[in-house]
Amino acid sequence: MDKLDLLVVVDPYPSATAAMAAMPGKPEDLNPNRAVYLLPAATQFETSGSCTASNRSLQWREKVIDPLWESRSDHMIMYQLAQKLGFDKELCKNYKMQKVKGLDEPVPEDILREINKCVWTIGYTGQSPERLKAHMKNMHVFDVKTLKAKGGKDKETGYDFTGDYFGLPWPCYGTPEMKHPGTSNLYDTSKHVMDGGGNFRANFGVEREGKNLLAEDGSHSLGADITTGYPELDHILLKKLGWWDELTDDEKKAAEGKNWKTDSSGGMIRVFMKNHGCHPFGNAKARAVVWNFPDPIPQHREPLYGTRPDLMAKYPTHDDKKAFWRLPTLYKTVQDKNIADKVHEKFPLILTSGRLVEYEGGGEETRSNPWLAELQQEAYVEIHPKTAADRGIRNGDRVWLLGATGARLNVQALVTERVDTGTVWMPFHFSGRWQGADMLAYYPKGAAPVVRGEAVNTATTYGYDSVTMMQETKTTVCNIEKA
Amino acid sequence: MARMKFICDAERCIECNGCVTACKNEHEVPWGVNRRRVVTLNDGVPGEKSISVACMHCSDAPCMAVCPVNCFYKTEEGVVLHDKDVCIGCGYCSYACPFGAPQFPSQGTFGVRGKMDKCTFCAGGPEENGSQAEFDKYGRNRLAEGKLPACAEMCSTKALLAGDGDVVSDIFRQRVVQRGKGAEVWGWGTAYGSAAKQGA
Repeated sequence: MDKLDLLVVVDPYPSATAAMAAMPGKPEDLNPNRAVYLLPAATQFETSGSCTASNRSLQWREKVIDPLWESRSDHMIMYQLAQKLGFDKELCKNYKMQKVKGLDEPVPEDILREINKCVWTIGYTGQSPERLKAHMKNMHVFDVKTLKAKGGKDKETGYDFTGDYFGLPWPCYGTPEMKHPGTSNLYDTSKHVMDGGGNFRANFGVEREGKNLLAEDGSHSLGADITTGYPELDHILLKKLGWWDELTDDEKKAAEGKNWKTDSSGGMIRVFMKNHGCHPFGNAKARAVVWNFPDPIPQHREPLYGTRPDLMAKYPTHDDKKAFWRLPTLYKTVQDKNIADKVHEKFPLILTSGRLVEYEGGGEETRSNPWLAELQQEAYVEIHPKTAADRGIRNGDRVWLLGATGARLNVQALVTERVDTGTVWMPFHFSGRWQGADMLAYYPKGAAPVVRGEAVNTATTYGYDSVTMMQETKTTVCNIEKA
Repeated sequence: MARMKFICDAERCIECNGCVTACKNEHEVPWGVNRRRVVTLNDGVPGEKSISVACMHCSDAPCMAVCPVNCFYKTEEGVVLHDKDVCIGCGYCSYACPFGAPQFPSQGTFGVRGKMDKCTFCAGGPEENGSQAEFDKYGRNRLAEGKLPACAEMCSTKALLAGDGDVVSDIFRQRVVQRGKGAEVWGWGTAYGSAAKQGA
């Protein structure tokens, strides 16, 4: 971190990254021109906007207080950065601006409206701020089991909730005016598309090696005018079906030469869904053979760092990739080297990680909250009773977790049968201690999290997913000794 | 008049500590004082069970019986409360209580052993309802606002129930009937019915 030219941390709390930037490293590494900025971001209570839950429902969040101290909302920070870089006019051309503590900030409603205008393909278009706000004010009209409103109108706007699912779970297709109700269950052919029904997406072409990839006759969403498979919607398909003239003149202008994802009027979607009960993304089969993945059908491959060289020989990893998302990425070389170096003899335990209910993510915010911090005060590692006994470790002892790259983590031992004898587990929410040392002194005064502990990923090792390039943080090897 | 009761359904408790956090946040309870806690038995082995425990607001409360200065009183709704101006912080109630409800803040007027603090069923203390003095000593008085205790309101699995004892026991009884097993059969495995029963 000392070698960087520029480090910017944008967070409600100065994170471990910020503290580490202040921690002295090797003097020769320090870049004399390095610049480090801490930008205090406002919390969710200090601004408004939509947020999406894991059931795909959206809710509108109201601002509770103005941003405290020097903190600013994320969108204000982005606007001000764009100003410095000279493209603020382009960034904000669809936004009205509002004053927050004397400074200009894009109106959150306008940001959502802009998202609504462009994200046709995943159905993030129908959830206008007006509809979401009406839902929030009238939660009582929605059934708690089905999420569906049987009726009811918003007193202020007169908006009719009939048929809407609470929070318009995406995909909520078309314009807000089309009143798609949101989708409570994906791919549900037992419902009409205007009632949240659907089918599998035609996303992989219409045919492959002579086999039809579209749905077969009779497989379609309820009430669809096309009762067999069909490709995704574009202007040619709409014309061929003879439904083009159901567009208004303005819609025709916008839709000409376009497909449902690029027609900015949403007219083609309206005609297809509302008038004919068809799905704009087509009607196809799901695919179980993903021919464009390295393993078209998932197969077991041992991780680069493993404890079983016999299994690594039987289930080897992928070959190295010269350019993977443009970067050279190693697989086989690392695995083979680990086998040759007998890494498993020095590090006979599998290390994996997971979450605790008390904390979230890296834990910077939640470990700063005393109500939560009190419930989990120490970073720890779960060890099986046999593994612990073999190493002379008792429940509650301090231990060193030795990583394969030389990392040393000082944590507490939780001796439990929750893990097997060959595996140890650490929660991943901790930071603020680095290989045995407390980083308290390196946080801005008074801003350190209440609870600090070793971060598990100090000990995790090289490796990337062969499709997404997600880093390998879920399996590596380690050893443990009594501290 | 309702008779207030807590019940924690160990069948449903997932040890999320939401009740503990709700309580701390609602009443601004200091670090180290736990009006409510989640106890887990057989942690990490099959059959693990958790239960959320606080003052049970006993009908015949042992704390009341043993208090040498008589600081306890019971409201018309059966909530056991105490007067911190009378409490001498002796800790006798903590010997008597089978649930470990009484807490003794380590900071405060009386030094090492401060005045006793415990769950109030979100019903405050002898001060005027909703007053700052009441909040400072006992936390929020939600019952006076027509609300039930924050811990149970916040419980994500509705394991922890609070309110009129008749209603609470009706809900629990219905669950026991639906599970097809007695209240003594606790465990996550039966919370959502068995696979065989659903014909799955």
